[in-house]
Amino acid sequence: MDENSSARLKRRLLGIVYRIGLFLAMLTICLPGLWIVISSLRPTVEIMAKPPVWIPQEISFDAYVAMFSGIGKGGIPVIEYFRNSLIISVTSTVIAVAIGMAGGYAFARYRFRGKSSVFLGLMLTRTVPGIALSLPLFFLYVRLGIIDTHFGLILAYVALNVPFTIWLIDGFFRQVPKDLAEAAQIDGCTRWQAFWQVEFPLAGPGIASAAIFAFLTCWNEFALASQLTRSVSAKTLPVGLLDYTAEFTIDWRGMCALAVVMIIPALTLTYIVQKHLVGGLTSGAVKG
Amino acid sequence: MKGFKPSAPFLLLLPAMIVLAAVVVVPLLLSLYSSFTPFRLTRPETFFVFVGFRNYLSILSNADFWWAFGRTVLLLTIALNLEMLLGLGLAMLVEKATRGQRILRTLMMFPMMFSPILVGFQFKFMFNDNIGLVNNALQSLGITQDAIPWLIEGHLAFIAISIAEIWSSTAIFAILILAGLLAMPKEPIEAARVDGCTPWQTFRYVTWPFVMPFAYIAMTIRSLDVARAYDIVKIMTDGGPAGRTELLWTLVARTAYSDGRMGMANAMAYFSILLSIAFTVYFFNKLAAARTQIGAEW
Repeated sequence: MDENSSARLKRRLLGIVYRIGLFLAMLTICLPGLWIVISSLRPTVEIMAKPPVWIPQEISFDAYVAMFSGIGKGGIPVIEYFRNSLIISVTSTVIAVAIGMAGGYAFARYRFRGKSSVFLGLMLTRTVPGIALSLPLFFLYVRLGIIDTHFGLILAYVALNVPFTIWLIDGFFRQVPKDLAEAAQIDGCTRWQAFWQVEFPLAGPGIASAAIFAFLTCWNEFALASQLTRSVSAKTLPVGLLDYTAEFTIDWRGMCALAVVMIIPALTLTYIVQKHLVGGLTSGAVKG
Repeated sequence: MKGFKPSAPFLLLLPAMIVLAAVVVVPLLLSLYSSFTPFRLTRPETFFVFVGFRNYLSILSNADFWWAFGRTVLLLTIALNLEMLLGLGLAMLVEKATRGQRILRTLMMFPMMFSPILVGFQFKFMFNDNIGLVNNALQSLGITQDAIPWLIEGHLAFIAISIAEIWSSTAIFAILILAGLLAMPKEPIEAARVDGCTPWQTFRYVTWPFVMPFAYIAMTIRSLDVARAYDIVKIMTDGGPAGRTELLWTLVARTAYSDGRMGMANAMAYFSILLSIAFTVYFFNKLAAARTQIGAEW
């Protein structure tokens, strides 16, 4: 009886320790983001206050209003940056996914010599750090006259995304049984039809998440964008964020607001894809 | 598979090859060439002067470069190992949860959604010596009275950058390791327990070998992205104070764009490319080995 109760006590204690551990871990993960959201909504006086004000006394959306009301009001041209980011990210995502589908299909469905080394070779192109790649690209783009244009950045981002979309889409096609397409072909489909009517719809959700992943890579990319763009006509949001730090007095609240604007699309999209993303990356890690 | 032209996979891979050749391979060859010239942005004619290995030789004797190199390797070692450990711990915590696992999983992915530049900014804000959350908390709790100069003192800045880096990337490990834990069959663990293994032995000899390929996938993905630290450092300290947090990538950017010494910068860039490739090939091989170990097809 005594042994029983001590075992029960031990178990309860372990349970509590576990809860505390989990809580602390989640707190560490969420706090920085929450702090930014809170800071973007409170007046600058409160951010600067000493001793610190922990609980916001008043909520205001001034930072957001100022940000979207153009350069004149101490803001940066957020609307233009937003538009550039959107155009560049969407276009390069569409192209990268089209190329990635072709490549991923080749890896998932065909056996050919040097398959593993071709795959590794593709991945290696992705290892080149953005900043190292930006040096020759900068030089070439100046020569070709496509520096500071949407086209130049789209081209660079397509190349940046292709290896990873191939990896992901390869994984998703592997999950579609070969037999299905073969059965369709026996029933009279051409290879092309079998692909579009059987394999593509089945791998569809996976391909969509590869697309979202590619979109996020473009949306978040900084190293290349910071060197290949110069002006409002092509600067993206991450580069725009740096506009704030260039000055001596940092407008913390404005930056926080811009950060929130940047994170919202990313947050929504990642939430949608999370399940498929993990599936695609790990397919083939375990048999079955 | 019969009856198709043997060149089908080649044709399918052709667009990818063309794009990568145009944007990555050719520019890299160009930069390889220019690393043998004293090329300066301000003097285009220097592009055609060949100086052999002079840039590389002057790098070898450049103390700043080697400091940056060592610092980069140190940062990667610390960050990758801690991310792995923390990711494993986090994954096991979440896996144990009986309720609300979906919500926990979503929360766990939270840092992945932040772009490195945002991570840098948010930690710059939090580590600000005057108004940052960290110092405010420390002072309110009475642990210290002084404002700790997190981003102004060299070592502290390095620690702050490591923390930012680890915060942002632990999620990748946690997510993938969790996927491994969830995919794992339960019988071997029960069998081990029946056979009298301690929890540690069960973990070490049953769970860990199974989860390992997933950890290596995470490592491979991370090693493709090691240069993300550039964004974080750029915005948090920009290599300062006095070059104390200068990494290879920030040094390359500074040499190329601020000093305009493209040839020298390209020579440095090659070191950082080799470093990245070494990391990736290493983990990719580990991944392939781990996959064959548990009998997956590759």
